[in-house]
Amino acid sequence: MRPECSMKLLLFTFLICLSLGDMAAAQVVVIAHPLVKQENISQAELLDFYSREIRLWDNGEPVVVFDLKPKSEVKETFYKYLGKSISRMKSIWMKKMLSGEGDPPEALETEEAVVKKVAATPGSVGFVSQSKVTEKVKVLIVIEPETEKDE
Amino acid sequence: MLRVKMLFWLGVWWGATASVFAQLQEAPIKAFGYFQNSFQQWTQSSDQPQFNTFALQQLNMFLQKDLLKDWTAFVNFEVLNNFSSSKRWGSFNIEEAWVRYRSSRQFNLKVGLQIPIFNHLNEIKNRTPLLPYIVRPLVYETSFNEFIAIEEYLPTRAFVQAYGFIPSAKAKFDYAVYIGNSPNINSQFDNQSSSNERPTGLDTTTAFLFGGRIGVRYGELKAGISATHEKVNYFKGLAERLNEPPSKFEGLPRIRLGADLLYRLGDFSFEGEYISVFYDEGADVVEVDKRFLYGTLGWNTTERLYVYASYWFTREHQVEIVDEQFVKYVGDAGVVTGGVSYNFSDRIALKGQVARVDVDTTLPPEIFSGEAFEVYALAISVFF
Repeated sequence: MRPECSMKLLLFTFLICLSLGDMAAAQVVVIAHPLVKQENISQAELLDFYSREIRLWDNGEPVVVFDLKPKSEVKETFYKYLGKSISRMKSIWMKKMLSGEGDPPEALETEEAVVKKVAATPGSVGFVSQSKVTEKVKVLIVIEPETEKDE
Repeated sequence: MLRVKMLFWLGVWWGATASVFAQLQEAPIKAFGYFQNSFQQWTQSSDQPQFNTFALQQLNMFLQKDLLKDWTAFVNFEVLNNFSSSKRWGSFNIEEAWVRYRSSRQFNLKVGLQIPIFNHLNEIKNRTPLLPYIVRPLVYETSFNEFIAIEEYLPTRAFVQAYGFIPSAKAKFDYAVYIGNSPNINSQFDNQSSSNERPTGLDTTTAFLFGGRIGVRYGELKAGISATHEKVNYFKGLAERLNEPPSKFEGLPRIRLGADLLYRLGDFSFEGEYISVFYDEGADVVEVDKRFLYGTLGWNTTERLYVYASYWFTREHQVEIVDEQFVKYVGDAGVVTGGVSYNFSDRIALKGQVARVDVDTTLPPEIFSGEAFEVYALAISVFF
C-alpha cells in the first residue's frame, strides 16, 4: 500500500471514529418506571409532560418527571429534542409555579440518580445517556441525533 | 400477666394510631415569593419637579398546599410601594385565596378570590420575575393604581372560574369563564353608617361581573380574545348635575374587549395586546370609553440577557367640570420604552429601563397644554 493511501485510510478511520463517538455522546434515552403502560412516547406528549401541561397518563396515574441539575450535553440534547432551550423551559416552569399551576420537575444531580429515582417512582419519566440505562427502567424512546428538533 | 395484657393493648393502640396518622399524612405547605426593589428617576413635568427614589416596588408571598389528590389551595399576599401601615405608605392586599379542583386538562374549577384570565398579561402582571419590565405597560402597573384606574381596564378579581384546554392535533384551544362582583363595591368607611349600608369591600348591588377568554396555542404562537360584562353605578351622582333622572345612570353596562398575541421565533419574540372599554347606552352624556394597546419586540441576545423595545398607548374619553359646565375631552398617553433584563441566576434578575411618556388632551391649552417626561429605572428582582 502506498503511503498516501494508508494516510487516507487512517484519516477516514479517524473521522468515522470521531462521528461514532459524537453519536454515542449525543444518544439520549427517555426512561420510565417499568409499570408504565405505554411502550413509547411522542415528542409532543413528552413536551406536554415536561411543561406540566399534562399531569396524568391515559390510565389516570399521575406523571412524575425528573430533570438533570447540571447543564450537560444529555440535558441540552433532550430539551433540543423537545424544541425548547433550557432557559425557555425554566421560564415555563416559573410561570406555572407562580400561578399555582404546578411545580417544576425535581432536578437530580446525576444520571445514575435519575435512573434510580425513575425505577423507584411509579408513573415517572426521566432522561439519561443510553449507557446509563439499567433493566430496572423501561426505555420509551431513543433520541437519535437526527431526530433532534430545532427550536 | 397484667403487664403482658397491657403491653398487648398498648401495641394494638400504637399500631392503630400509627396507621391513622399515616393515612392522614399531608402534603407540606409550600411558601415562596418574590420582591422587586427599584431605583427610579422621573424628570420634571408640569405636575411635579424632577425626583429620584428607591422603592420596594412589590413583594409577593405565596402559600400553597395540595389538600387532596385533585385539590390545591393557594394564597397570594401582595405588598406595594414601600408598604408601611404606620407611615401610611403603599398598600397591602390579599390578591388571591382560592382552592382549585383539577378534574382533567379540559376542566379545572377555581373557587375563591382570584385574578381572572383576561388578556395574556393580566394573568402575570404582578409576577415580576416573569416580566422584563420595571414599569409595566400602563394599565398593568399595579404600583400606579393611585394614578390610573386599572380596574376600569382590567377585571382584577373573580370568585369562580372554570378553565382548561382542548388539544386538537398540534394545537391547544384554551377557554376560561368566570364570575365575580360588579364594580359597585362599598369603599366608604363610615362609622356613622346606617344599618342598611353594607360593610366596606362588599358589592352593593345584585349585578355580577361575567367574563371569559378563548385562545389558541400552536407551537410558539399564542393568541386569544377576551371579554367581560358588568353593570356600573359610578355615574349616578352625576344625574343631578346633568339634570337627568338617576335611573339613566344606574346599572350602566360596561363591556371590555381584549385581544392578545404572542409569538416567538428563535431568539426573537413579539407580544401585543389591545383592550377596549366602553359603556353601553346612557353613558353617552358623560362618554368615558377607553382604549389601550401595547406591543413589545424582544430579543434573547444570550440565554441570560433579554433586550426589548415597547410602545404603549391609552386613549381615554373624559369629562371635566369647567366653569360649572361639563366639558368632554380626549386624553392620550403614549410611552416609548426600552430595556434589558439580565438573569444573574435562576432566582435573581437585574433590570434596566428607559421610558419617555407623552401626555396630551383635546382640552384648551389654557387648561392643559400637554406634557412629556422621562423615567429611568434600575431594579433587582429576587425569587425566593
